[in-house]
Amino acid sequence: MIEEFLVLGLIQGFIYALLAMGFSLVYGVGGVLNLSHGGFYLLTAYVFFWNYTSLGVVNTIIISLIMITIIGGLAYLFLIKPLEHTPIGVVIGTFALAFFIEQFVQFAGDAKIHSDIPPLIEGSIEFLGFEIDAHLLLIIIVSLTVIVSLTIFINKSKLGKSIRAVSQDREAATLMGINADRILLYTVMISAFLAGIAAILYIPKDIVAPHKGWSILINSFAVVVLGGMGSLLGSVAGSFIIAFVGSYCNFYIDPSVSYLVPIIIIVVMLIFRPQGLFGKKELL
Amino acid sequence: MFKEVRKKVESFPGYLKSWVGTFKGGLTIFCLIILLIIPLLTQNAYYLGEFFTLAMIYAIFAASWDLLAGIAGQVSFGHAIFFAISGYISSAFIVYFGFHWIIALFIGSIIAVVFGLLIAVPCLRLKGPYLALGTMSFGLILFLLFTMGGLSEILGGSGGISKVPPISLNPVIEYIITLFIMVIVFIIIIAIAKSNFGTILKSIRDDERGSDASGINTTKYKIFAFMISGFFAGIAGALFAMHYRGVNPAFFQPLYSFYAIVIAALGGIATIRGSALGAFFFVIVTRIFENIEFFADVEPLFFFSIILIFTIRFAERGIITPAIEQLKDLWDLVLGK
Repeated sequence: MIEEFLVLGLIQGFIYALLAMGFSLVYGVGGVLNLSHGGFYLLTAYVFFWNYTSLGVVNTIIISLIMITIIGGLAYLFLIKPLEHTPIGVVIGTFALAFFIEQFVQFAGDAKIHSDIPPLIEGSIEFLGFEIDAHLLLIIIVSLTVIVSLTIFINKSKLGKSIRAVSQDREAATLMGINADRILLYTVMISAFLAGIAAILYIPKDIVAPHKGWSILINSFAVVVLGGMGSLLGSVAGSFIIAFVGSYCNFYIDPSVSYLVPIIIIVVMLIFRPQGLFGKKELL
Repeated sequence: MFKEVRKKVESFPGYLKSWVGTFKGGLTIFCLIILLIIPLLTQNAYYLGEFFTLAMIYAIFAASWDLLAGIAGQVSFGHAIFFAISGYISSAFIVYFGFHWIIALFIGSIIAVVFGLLIAVPCLRLKGPYLALGTMSFGLILFLLFTMGGLSEILGGSGGISKVPPISLNPVIEYIITLFIMVIVFIIIIAIAKSNFGTILKSIRDDERGSDASGINTTKYKIFAFMISGFFAGIAGALFAMHYRGVNPAFFQPLYSFYAIVIAALGGIATIRGSALGAFFFVIVTRIFENIEFFADVEPLFFFSIILIFTIRFAERGIITPAIEQLKDLWDLVLGK
């Protein structure tokens, strides 16, 4: 029992971390809560699901990731940027995109729930005397790599510094010669890319279904609200807290209660501590 | 004071006459006359019920959302809460306690108002997308609570309440009564939007800090907006439950909240009338999709989601309102202005 609890918590923790980091970045840099974040996940999941048998796993991964990054960029250019001055516009615009993606995958595919996606790597590996599922190991390694690379990238690289500059003070950054719009474009594309990776890693352990987009969005929001908007550290911390609490509820209380966990966290945090655990708008 | 009231009442016919003379007034009267004629053209329960009565119910629902989001600026993604709670309460009062449907409808709507208060208070400091996701979360909590049966024993749980009698077994009477309710609700909501109260809500929407600084108690007005909006959404919910002869947890789905948003956005956010136009457009197009061979596979919502994206991107005032305005220009042209 405790193994399953730990394993699920670990998997979900990493997946949520990938999702929340992208979500939080977009908010920190552009002040935009991208309601279509779940849609990015969903679209990648479905594209992978439809094509992995015919095109091969590796090819499909590459194609879906490129696709979702481009779509993220297009979403920014077509929907987010033109509407950024009307708050209602951004909310409904990103929502409409999420809604569209949910309808699109049903139109292009079907409305059923699919839970039979095979793991990316089969089999298990011996490690320190434990049998670890190979896919789980893949999730851990890939996620850690991504998280660490992203953190280094944000801190050290020139683009990363521009991102941090725009998130701290957009006007000042523009005065310094940074093209804030372009930076936001890149940020949205990065967040879409992260959502895509999360989708590909998670769906063998989870389901592919149209309504999944909303639960991913709610989960990302819960993590970011808990960890603090704009804080990457908060996103990672928040993801694991929520993942393990959820996993605990799943195995020791009742599986249906685990659905309530992120939602209750949102409500409680928004009432009592809206800035989250690691607060405010600075990255890291 | 008596003289003033008398003057107002006496000037009313004149006011009405000049209103009908304007394009918008004339068009509204025209639409109302058409709606009144429809039952003479068909008494078919499917056409009356699923095309028009349903559209009127959705119109009320969307208008209540438009009041909250378009006028007061509180973009709620959990409007289904009011809709469903009122559906449940009014159904319970009719089925379990034997109340007359009008009373049950009021009780349901009043309970929805209470929920409006309960939701407004935590959401006071939330803006924009935070408010959207916060209200969506509330909606999901209630949806999960009702589906998973913590409330199974009360109010029918996951099976819901069934065998709720409709307003009338005769679809024509149901239609007329719904039409009557819709007209009254719209008159009230439009009056609210145009009143001082409405202007205050708009100022909160446009610049909350400024309104606060001007001495307006934004908290009070925001809470009122939620409560009033909840009341009308509750009316819609009760009507919906009676129309479909039952209520179940599916009423709490985010999908119904989305309906309100899509319909109001198509008709034009902050134009209350647009919700009516949007509702009819939405329902009739959905039915057309269902009945034409060519579109058999296409889910109407897919179509609407595309329209919504383009509407919100290019036409924040909806697609219907500018279309009507083009008509108005044409009308002026024809009249030789």
